[in-house]
Formats: sequence, C-alpha cells, structure tokens
Amino acid sequence: MSDFEIKDCSLLIRMSGLPSAVNLRELRDRISACSPDVLYHHFCETPLSPSFDYPDYRNDFAVWSKWRLGDEILAERLGMIDPYLFPSMEELRASTLEIIDDRLGEVTMIPWARPGHEFYFMQAITVAFDTGERIRHPDELDAAIDRMTNGSIYFHVLEARRREPVGQDDFSSWLSGQEGKWEHHLAAIRAIDFTFHSLSEIRRELVEGLSNARAKRSKHSARRAGLAGKERTRHDRAHDT
Amino acid sequence: MSHSLEAYTDIVGLPVIHQMQRLGERLRGLRVVHVNSTSEGGGVAEILAWMVPLMKELGIDTSWKVIHGTPAFFGVTKSIHNGLQGKIVPLTKKDWGVYFDVNTANVSELRDPLESADVVVIHDPQPAPLLELCPKRKGKWIWRAHIDISRPDRAVWKSLRPYVEKYDASIFSMREFAQPLPHPQFIIAPSIDPLSDKNIALDPSELEKERARFGLDPNRPLLVQISRFDRFKDPVGVIQAYRLIRKVLPVQLVLAGGGASDDPEGKEILDEVMGAAGDDPDIHVLQLPPDSHRTINALQRLADIIIQKSTREGFGLTVTEGLWKGKPVIGGDVGGIKLQIANHYTGYLVNTPEGAAHRIRFLLHHREQMQAMGKTAKEFVRENFLMTRHLREYLTLFTWLLRGEGKHTIMV
Repeated sequence: MSDFEIKDCSLLIRMSGLPSAVNLRELRDRISACSPDVLYHHFCETPLSPSFDYPDYRNDFAVWSKWRLGDEILAERLGMIDPYLFPSMEELRASTLEIIDDRLGEVTMIPWARPGHEFYFMQAITVAFDTGERIRHPDELDAAIDRMTNGSIYFHVLEARRREPVGQDDFSSWLSGQEGKWEHHLAAIRAIDFTFHSLSEIRRELVEGLSNARAKRSKHSARRAGLAGKERTRHDRAHDT
Repeated sequence: MSHSLEAYTDIVGLPVIHQMQRLGERLRGLRVVHVNSTSEGGGVAEILAWMVPLMKELGIDTSWKVIHGTPAFFGVTKSIHNGLQGKIVPLTKKDWGVYFDVNTANVSELRDPLESADVVVIHDPQPAPLLELCPKRKGKWIWRAHIDISRPDRAVWKSLRPYVEKYDASIFSMREFAQPLPHPQFIIAPSIDPLSDKNIALDPSELEKERARFGLDPNRPLLVQISRFDRFKDPVGVIQAYRLIRKVLPVQLVLAGGGASDDPEGKEILDEVMGAAGDDPDIHVLQLPPDSHRTINALQRLADIIIQKSTREGFGLTVTEGLWKGKPVIGGDVGGIKLQIANHYTGYLVNTPEGAAHRIRFLLHHREQMQAMGKTAKEFVRENFLMTRHLREYLTLFTWLLRGEGKHTIMV
C-alpha cells in the first residue's frame, strides 16, 4: 500500500496585461484572445483567491454578468459551465464564446458596466509543496482531510482534475489503488458536486461523507465477520455430528 | 506590539500556521530587506512592524531599513504621493533632483545589505531610485506600491516610471490601482491584524464602559461609521440616511474620526457634519485621538450595523474591521468596498442615502438575517483578509521569483 502524500499550495494573483472590459463585446473579444492561464484563473482558481465565494455562480464571468452587466440570463448560462468537464482550455474557451455570441445575438443593446466596475483579466501563480504528512490507511482519510488547509483541498480535489488521470481527484485515485474494497469511500466522494462548493464546504462534505463511509464499512465488516463466525459454528457442529 | 505566529493559532487554525511554516522552511536563510521612509506612523510602518518579526520567526533573515530625508525631500515625496493619487502637482526638475540626491545620500549606508540581499522590497515611491544606485545587486527587487496609482498625474508618473520599471516585479493592493509596467505585477490586498488593539476581542465590561462614556442607549439600535472627516466618506450622506430611518425606528448614530484641527479641508467637512447633525442628541460626532484603537474597536462591536458610505475609497480597511466584528456592513459601491461586501451575504452595496436607509431598515427588521450575515462576514475576513494571508502571499512571491519565474505552477 502506498501512502497518500499530502501536498499544499499557495496562489498569488497577477495582472494578465490585457486591458479591462467595459461591455459584453469587449469581454468576448478578450476571452477569445487571452492566455489559457487567464481562462483557467477566472473559471477554476476563484475558490482560492481572496474574494467572496458566491454560492450561485462559480466563475468570475457569470458573477460579473449578473452584478455588473445586470444580465441575469447570461449569468445563468455562464454559471452552469463546469470547467472540469472540458478536456482542454480551448474547448472551454469555445463553449464560453458560443454562449456569449448567442447572447449578443439576442440583445438589442450591448450590456455595459458602469465606470469603476470593469472586468479585469487576471491570472495567477501557484507554489505547491509537500507538507511531509502522509496518510497510511484509507480509514485515516477523513481525519486527515479535516486538518487540511484550503490550499491542500484545492490541490487534491480541484487542481487534481487537470492532472492525470484527468477528471479525477487525488483521493479517489489513491483509494482506487489500495488493497481491499473501498466502494463506500469512493461513492461518498463521487456524491459531492465539487463545482458548487467553496473549499471549506468541500472539506466539510468530504469529512462527513468519508466518516460515514468508514462507519458503514466497519459495520459491513462486522456483519461479514459475524456471518463468517456463524458459518464456522454451523460447519463445526455439522462436522461434530 | 508584534505577536508570534503561534499566537494566531486559535484564530486561523493550526493548519494555516503549519502552511506558513512549511513555506518558510523553503526560504530559510534567505536574506530579505524591506526599505521604506518611516519607522513609525502610517500604514506601511504598521505592516512592517508585524511582518518583519514574523518573517524572522520563519527563519528568513529579514531586516527593515529606513531612508532618512530632509524636510525638502519629504515635501517633494508628499507631492509625488499626491500626484500619483491623481492630484495635479507642480514638480520641478529641481524637486526631482532633491528626490534623487536624498536617495544617493542614503545609499552609502544601504548599499552593502541591499546588493547582497536575495530579495529587496522597496515600499512606495520614496526609496524607489535605490535600485539603480545599487548596480551590483544580485537579488530580486520588488516595488511595493501601497497607494492607488490608477489615475496619476501623468507628469509625475512619467518621471517616476523610469525608476520603477527596472524592478523584477511590483505589488499593488488592488488590480484597479495598477499601471502597465514591463514586469509581472502582483496583487496583494491589505489585511488586518486580529490581535491588534483595533481588532482584538474585548471584554463586555470594556464595551459597556465605552457605551456609558459616549452616552449610548443600550436598548436602541446603533449605527456606526468610522472614518476621517473627508468628503469622499460622505458623512453628511450618512446623516441623511439616519434621518430617513429615524422616521420609523429609534436608531442612534456614531460618526467617529480623527481630529481635524491641522487639516483645513477636514475642518470644513467637520463643520458641515456638525451643521447637519444639529442638536440631535442621538447623533454622536466624535473626534478621537490617533491612538484610540480600542475605542474604535469597542464602537464597532457595540454597533448593530456598520456603515462605510464612501463615494470614493481605497481598499477600505474600516470595512474589513467591521466585517471582522461580525457585523453586516452597508458600504458605498466603490473601490475595495466592492471586494468585501457581497450583496445579501456580508452586507449591502449602496449608492445613495436612500439606498443605505432602505437596507438598514430591512436589516433592523430581520435580526436573524443580520446575524447570519455577520457570521458570514467574519468567516469571509478570516479566510481572506487577515495578515496570515498577507504574509503567505509574500512568501509565495519570494518563492516564485527565486525558483519559478515564468511558470504558472511550481513544485518546491
């Protein structure tokens, strides 16, 4: 059994060098030209940025459309984009542009933001590091996650989905490689919709789900041990007679 | 007074302290020098007073140097400061000469530590020319702008820019404050120290003492705005909002700020505020001495709702302080207030006295919602605007500059 290596990371935001956007058309043009790091930042890195986690929309474009352009229809459409479902940033970009283009075709006037409420295109740098802490057994997972920073949760749950195996969090990858059956644990993780939670909420959901899975598994093991005991007794009795 | 990192454990949690220590471990022995122009007074000195000891505690060989200037130099740098913030200031060639000469006079003492440092952080414009006065520098140099230079007097920026653009990176407090420069520009928001007198938890008896001292009624809602008496903080607009609320609810209002005796504009605004307050015994206009941190802390904790109805604002640390006290904040929809107030979650963004009055009345009638907002507000600050985040971002920047420049993610 290999140990789970707990990593952590810290993010710092930087200017992308792109001019800010004051209306929907400018937003569209900048999105079509920005680097993948900019797109990734506004879709995926928001939970780790020092900003408010809007529970209704999980990406900066949707939040800006609602609060600054006053376009709730666009916000709803952009808000439903799950960046982790796209195999590449280019496909995510194409899908985002399609939604905006559709909206530009529907509106009679281009939505504008007031001065002071422009959209700033940002990107980030991330420093990741090994904490030196290890998880040796899946039953330790919930307690270990409970002690993790937001940076660790981001790295192992969200950032992990961009790494191989693409689309999977590190906890699930590790559990899948462990001896024994960990279906309850894996199902508990699968049940969490990571896109719609802040990092603290993801931690809470993981801890709760995994501790329930642990309890279920030990109950299941106890029942199996009980059944095996009964079977043995029956076998012994049969043998005696 | 500075505290050890461990002292923050109960507030931010052990994992956050460990995170800092682990980032620090990778920078152990690094020589970092901060340079500014004053050892006390002002926001920069306040930040360095906690940051330098904490960096040292993490094993980073950190020092803090202060450049010494003449009254003429500080006159010029005050004008540069105002010019960068958008005021048209007549700075002559001679003035820029004074600016450069004072930096040259300081460099003989500073050259060795600066040229041998791994990282040098130059705070604000005053010591900016030091970089080109240290030609044998071996480390990375960062220019940290604490002020808003989004709309500078172009002549001032044109003269300062040549000094600044040679740096390896710059840091601004908000994305809106930045100027295009030929190096990476990072955003590090300001923060508050939860153990400072302004933010530390206070004993209920101390709160009651302050309440009695200012003659505040414990049985009626209290609205508080803490700000200097400045037109952009719109204190008269706050009184207008109060009057709209008073028609239906028996609220009290505290407007507290520093004394305005040596600031002609402040005196003028204060007179306007006094005029607007009239003889209403429930409007308390308080001119507090500069060291009234615990009093401000107590007033924020006594408030039901905190107001920061600015019409123009930098980051707005008084909003951060208010949110940290677990209070919803009604703030102007400007500057850094926009980053901190999320409508319906941590407070409300407003544009007019009517808007402020409407939201305050709503909240006073929905106490449960007010409490929920206060709780969200405090957690929001805990996650994002305490000095532990501020320190972590500096450590992240140092690591990236020294080991990963050019990359999005580095593993250390």
